[in-house]
Amino acid sequence: MAAPTPSQTVGPFFAGELVWRDGGKVLFPGQGQRIVLKGRVLDGAGEPVVDALFETWQADASGKFPSGGEGDRPYGYGRVSTDAGGGYTIETVMPGTFKSQSGEAYAPQISVSIFARGLLKAARTRVFLAPLDAIKDDPLVRAIGDPERVRTLIAARDAADPKLYRWDVRLRGAGEAVFIEI
Amino acid sequence: MAATRAADVHPPYHYPDYKSTRLRAPAQATVRVAPSPLELAGPAFPKTFVKESEADLTTWGKSAPLGEKMVLVGRVLDEGGRPVRRSLIEVWQANASGRYPHPVDNHDAPLDPNFLGKGQVLTDDEGRYRIVTVKPGAYPWQNHAFAWRPAHIHFSLFGNTYAQRVITQMFFPGDPLLAIDPIFNSVPVAGRKLLIAELDLEHGVEGVALGYRFDMVLHATPMGV
Repeated sequence: MAAPTPSQTVGPFFAGELVWRDGGKVLFPGQGQRIVLKGRVLDGAGEPVVDALFETWQADASGKFPSGGEGDRPYGYGRVSTDAGGGYTIETVMPGTFKSQSGEAYAPQISVSIFARGLLKAARTRVFLAPLDAIKDDPLVRAIGDPERVRTLIAARDAADPKLYRWDVRLRGAGEAVFIEI
Repeated sequence: MAATRAADVHPPYHYPDYKSTRLRAPAQATVRVAPSPLELAGPAFPKTFVKESEADLTTWGKSAPLGEKMVLVGRVLDEGGRPVRRSLIEVWQANASGRYPHPVDNHDAPLDPNFLGKGQVLTDDEGRYRIVTVKPGAYPWQNHAFAWRPAHIHFSLFGNTYAQRVITQMFFPGDPLLAIDPIFNSVPVAGRKLLIAELDLEHGVEGVALGYRFDMVLHATPMGV
């Protein structure tokens, strides 16, 4: 086995064009329940991370993994740069559940990679779009164990706007999100 | 010889000599899990995503950009030696003076109206790519006294699966600034040489451009991808 090429930081100067036009609007070939995932990326002092590249990859509404694309964009992939308040917005569909070949069931989730100056490798994780009691059997939830840590990965459905899911990602410190190595 | 594992070559999150990691590096241990079946699939980039001209960073302007022209070739393989085919590579870099055309870059060096410093290319069926550009300049940054980044080209790779996605930087052989660069030195010793291109005259253009080679290795792909 050859060693993989080591990761390095994306730095502060990633080209504007790395962020796709309307990259926060995720495309799918079919229909689905429209949702918006929205939140902020925060650092160890609780300050907004204003120069992060925030990427998402997810199943479609039926739990199938997207292939192909539309125009010049791949299906299923979101990509935005955080704004001056550390904010990101991903307009997408509610992902369906899916299973591994060995039958493990994955709860509705979006895989997330965060790249930024000061991150020598991507901060990777999965955000869940269902409450704690509905995701207990998910492989990552079981691997984490501690419900307080699992809560850092649950997007909260907004009381006033049922299509809105709020998820703040704390990179370090109090309420630090769980990050994964896959 | 024992194989070098991923854990031996990737930098840690927290590397105090690189000051920006201090507030941004996760403090808790990462949770190690198998890639989900979703993560063993990945986005597919339509052929129209990349124009052939985007692999040549020297043809943006009305005339040639300033700097030392170079042809950069390489191959993207997975850990098992299989080519990573038809995968998206994005590159961006400073111009020959060490300046990015980015609003946050306040380095007092000239912009080059003929150089935007960005490009993209899809690997071919053998995992190969070829880019034409100019050698980027070194530039100062705020990390410590006389902090100057060695010349580097940023690479963003999508691979064939989401689990293979990586962003890295390519450096040049023999650069004395490598020794004082905390970003490069955040990589464990075993991995550092993997970030340095080789002079490869065979791929240059006589009298016009030097050739360099930079091969990359992504995490293993599951069988059948």
